[in-house]
Amino acid sequence: MAKGKASDFTLMIATILLVFIGIIMVFSSSWPNALYKMNDGYYFLKKQLIAGVIGLFAMLFFMNFPYWRLNKLSKLIFLGCIGLSLLLYTPLGIEINGAKRWINFGITTVQPSDAMKLGSIIYLTSFLSRRKEDIKSIKKGVLPALVIIGIGTGTILMQKDLSTSAVLGMALVIILFIAGMKMLHLTVLGVLGLGAVAGAIALEDFRLNRIMAFLNPFEYKSGIGWQVVQSLYALGSGGVFGAGLGKSRQKFFYIPEPYNDFIFAIIGEELGFIGCITVIVLFLLIIWRGIRIALNAKDLFGCLLASGIVSLIAVQTLIHIAVVTSSMPPTGIPLPFISYGGTSLMVYMAAVGILLNISRHTELDRS
Amino acid sequence: MSSPTFTTKKRLVFMLLAVSVVVFGLMMRLGYIQIVRGQGLKDEALEQWAKDIPIGPKRGAIYDRNGKELAVSISSYQVDCIPADVNEPERSAEIISTILDLDKEDVLSDLTKRQSIVKIKRWISDEEADELREADLDGIVIVPDNKRYYPYGNFASYILGFTDYDNKGLYGVERTYDKYLTGTPGRLIKNTDSLGRQLPGDVERLVEPESGLNAVLTIDETIQHIAEKAALEAQVKNKAKRTAVIIMEPKTGNVLAMSTKPDFDPNNPREPVTEEQKQEWAQLSQEQLIKEWNSIWRPYTISDNYEPGSTFKIITAAAGLEEGVVTKDSTFHCDGYVRQVKSPKPIKCWRYYNPHGTQTFVEGAENSCNEVFVEVGLRLGKDKMYEYVREFGFGDKTGIDLTSEAYGLVIRPEYIKEVNLATMSFGQGIAVTPIQLVTAMSAVANGGELMEPRIVKELRDQNGELVHEFKPEVKKRVISKETSDTMMEILRSVVDNGTGGNAYTAGYRVGGKTGTAQKVVDGRYASGKYIASFAAIAPTDDPEIAVLVIIDEPSTGVYYGGLIAAPVAGEVVKETLDYLDVELKYTAEELEEELKKKVIVPDVTGKDLNEAAEMLAGQGFKYTTQESGAKGSLIIVDQFPKANTEVNKGSKIELYTQDKVEVEDTIIVPNLKGQSPEKVIETLNEMNLRFKFNGNGLVMDQVPKPGTEVKFNSLIEVEFQKRDW
Repeated sequence: MAKGKASDFTLMIATILLVFIGIIMVFSSSWPNALYKMNDGYYFLKKQLIAGVIGLFAMLFFMNFPYWRLNKLSKLIFLGCIGLSLLLYTPLGIEINGAKRWINFGITTVQPSDAMKLGSIIYLTSFLSRRKEDIKSIKKGVLPALVIIGIGTGTILMQKDLSTSAVLGMALVIILFIAGMKMLHLTVLGVLGLGAVAGAIALEDFRLNRIMAFLNPFEYKSGIGWQVVQSLYALGSGGVFGAGLGKSRQKFFYIPEPYNDFIFAIIGEELGFIGCITVIVLFLLIIWRGIRIALNAKDLFGCLLASGIVSLIAVQTLIHIAVVTSSMPPTGIPLPFISYGGTSLMVYMAAVGILLNISRHTELDRS
Repeated sequence: MSSPTFTTKKRLVFMLLAVSVVVFGLMMRLGYIQIVRGQGLKDEALEQWAKDIPIGPKRGAIYDRNGKELAVSISSYQVDCIPADVNEPERSAEIISTILDLDKEDVLSDLTKRQSIVKIKRWISDEEADELREADLDGIVIVPDNKRYYPYGNFASYILGFTDYDNKGLYGVERTYDKYLTGTPGRLIKNTDSLGRQLPGDVERLVEPESGLNAVLTIDETIQHIAEKAALEAQVKNKAKRTAVIIMEPKTGNVLAMSTKPDFDPNNPREPVTEEQKQEWAQLSQEQLIKEWNSIWRPYTISDNYEPGSTFKIITAAAGLEEGVVTKDSTFHCDGYVRQVKSPKPIKCWRYYNPHGTQTFVEGAENSCNEVFVEVGLRLGKDKMYEYVREFGFGDKTGIDLTSEAYGLVIRPEYIKEVNLATMSFGQGIAVTPIQLVTAMSAVANGGELMEPRIVKELRDQNGELVHEFKPEVKKRVISKETSDTMMEILRSVVDNGTGGNAYTAGYRVGGKTGTAQKVVDGRYASGKYIASFAAIAPTDDPEIAVLVIIDEPSTGVYYGGLIAAPVAGEVVKETLDYLDVELKYTAEELEEELKKKVIVPDVTGKDLNEAAEMLAGQGFKYTTQESGAKGSLIIVDQFPKANTEVNKGSKIELYTQDKVEVEDTIIVPNLKGQSPEKVIETLNEMNLRFKFNGNGLVMDQVPKPGTEVKFNSLIEVEFQKRDW
């Protein structure tokens, strides 16, 4: 295992570019909110910049941190993430809009669900790589794996963050799929999953409303369709070339928290179709390189870990873009690397660091 | 350490493909949204961002026919609030309520409304606007606005009408010409955030409002004043419920004046005008008050029907003469009762107790004898009668461009029984509007053509350029010129020799007809309620005006048109024709009468000879003057007899004049130094300067100094001193 191997340069550049675009877009899109609500137009920029710098160090750290050690540390990491989540129920937990999702560490706040995403991927892949053939058996493989998935998504679900736990759930199930789970089992799981989604929709009116808003946003423009319509207005007024960096009007409170779940709409408005495609291509590059790394990983743990990280990035990115373009019912999912959120940015950069480390130990070329 | 299986690798490749497919789909979707639907979405977004603040256009003015302003729009300001931009509602409310004299709580609730824009107050003064601007409160916008102002108050209110809070015409010309007067509103467009705050770095766009057109009325301000005064006096004197005076120019159908009392002040149409109104309105509930307002805003002369009574005999007579069923000299007999017609209640002449006996048609008109006109009506027959009534415009709108015009009530021929025909002939059993009657009178007077009554002469733009002219419109010929001439003779005779005597005005050849009608209330004749009226035309040889005076429910016990309405009409005719400078033509007796009258000599000093001559002639004086130069350049410096002396009418006044140039030009004081007294006297006399001498010898000094500009006839003090050598 030669340590001198260079890591995947394309992946690194794509990631850094995205983070760079992200910081600029967070600054641009958060300006009105920052100015009116925080009395400091640079409020979100500063925080995101700091997180970006820390994230860069995290990426560099994990790039040089032999990934197989994570295999050994996986149990500890997972427990750490659970512990972090439990801190929400101590006085350190901050409640915003009726949901406890942040922990206040004094100098900074941390969102444990972001850590949990990576933590459960590491733990699940570690579990699966140790029992390579068990995945084909329900008792030995599938059920224990589902328990891990249940714990991971469950802690997030307890934070009333259904969409995030769904994203994580999907990423984890994709790991099972890649690990070689039987199609029959997978189909049954898929049916059960669909059933659960249908149940969840039937259970809560607001979820049904969101589907209505998705199907006919303009009819509910002033109510449930507001966000969707505003997002489409942003994209539409951007056109091919965009209104120009910083020139979004929709970020002026038409789109709530534009630096977050709808940041792609602001990219569309300011940078146009061309800007959007550029961002999508960068994500596609990351996914392509990630899958390539997984394919060439020299061991199963590295392969599954890379697959898991790529799945997470892919699922979250596609859902975010799908929501913004009203290609699916609206739900609140930030865009990896781009949306505002320090923990998320650091975790994703760390995850890319892990990917880069795996790439250093592939068997084939790394052009 | 285990390595990935083949399945894993296969599935990884599958995932890459799956993701690629989804990404491709999303790209297509994105392209569809941003490129295909882009413009549409952008337009909607633009609409969403743009907040309009409408800017009211300046409403066109309304002028009388000589260009006097009757209704104008004065610049004013409006205060709007954008609640989203208000920072300190409490403090702002405090300041605003103090400056604008509003209730603080009301202002506060405005400032905190969840609305993109709230109107706080309209029509604030310049000072208030300045104070507010100085206070520089966030979220408070001051936009230009204009307010309607009627400089003459309750004057011609039924013609002008008034506007509502949004400068929209509600009644009168304000309503009927609203679309021309209004203009096009401008807009202040700015892009705002979702809370209505202006976007930073965004430019406001101003679409200038376009002012409305000015309307020039046919109304003459002076004549309107005459009518207003006459109507008010008649109302007060007769304790009448209502009075109305309409003056029309028969040749054109131009309404020169139209007044109804009581009326309202268009500046504050909901405020009482008189003390009585104030007391009366104070008793009313809100609901009753609204009813009262609506009733007082209705233009009586246009939208109320009344039974015209004997003034309608003008129509019967004109129809009879035109059809040849009667001539001026036809004879009739009045024995007090109409016997040709069967009627449940006998139809009587008004003087049934002392019948008129045998009389000519002209005498019948002078006497206003009902029997004569019943006979004429019967000779015409119901079909002819109905035809003429309709021809003269009764039972139909006259087309005057004012609101809520009524049709009047004319019984259809198939329902006209002999009784109806008989009563209609003297103006009972038919209802007309005052404007219909005055229009019909005009047709009788102008040689037989029914005109469309006109109130607006032309529309002009803000620069005074003519945009549209409304030409006088002849609707149809109703009677011949001969009949019209005969009618004028008859009507003049009514005034000169008959029941219309109280409208007589020496020199102005007044013709007219009295009218006294019992009021119909709820379909029955109400006892003790009358409408006295007088229809006058003058001068009869060349009609300039048709005047209709209506006194509704006089309550002093005197109710005959000839007694109370005729003098009002006479006064209106005199004042109007005086103003219009219509030539006085006296008969020999009139002249003698006139000359006997003592009159007061007016003061004409200081006027130029033209003005003085006009003034003296207007009051029947003659004058002489020693000068024969251009009249306009001569100033009267003295007159004999002096002003305020009592003399015989038609006396001669001697006028002493001076050249205007001398009087008005300044004179430059000459240098007199070293001159002899004789020389100084000569110089100063020549220059029309007075002088005062001190000492003797030759001129040493003078005040004012040489070169000073002084007025004609100024005093120059001259100092003389002897040379001592």
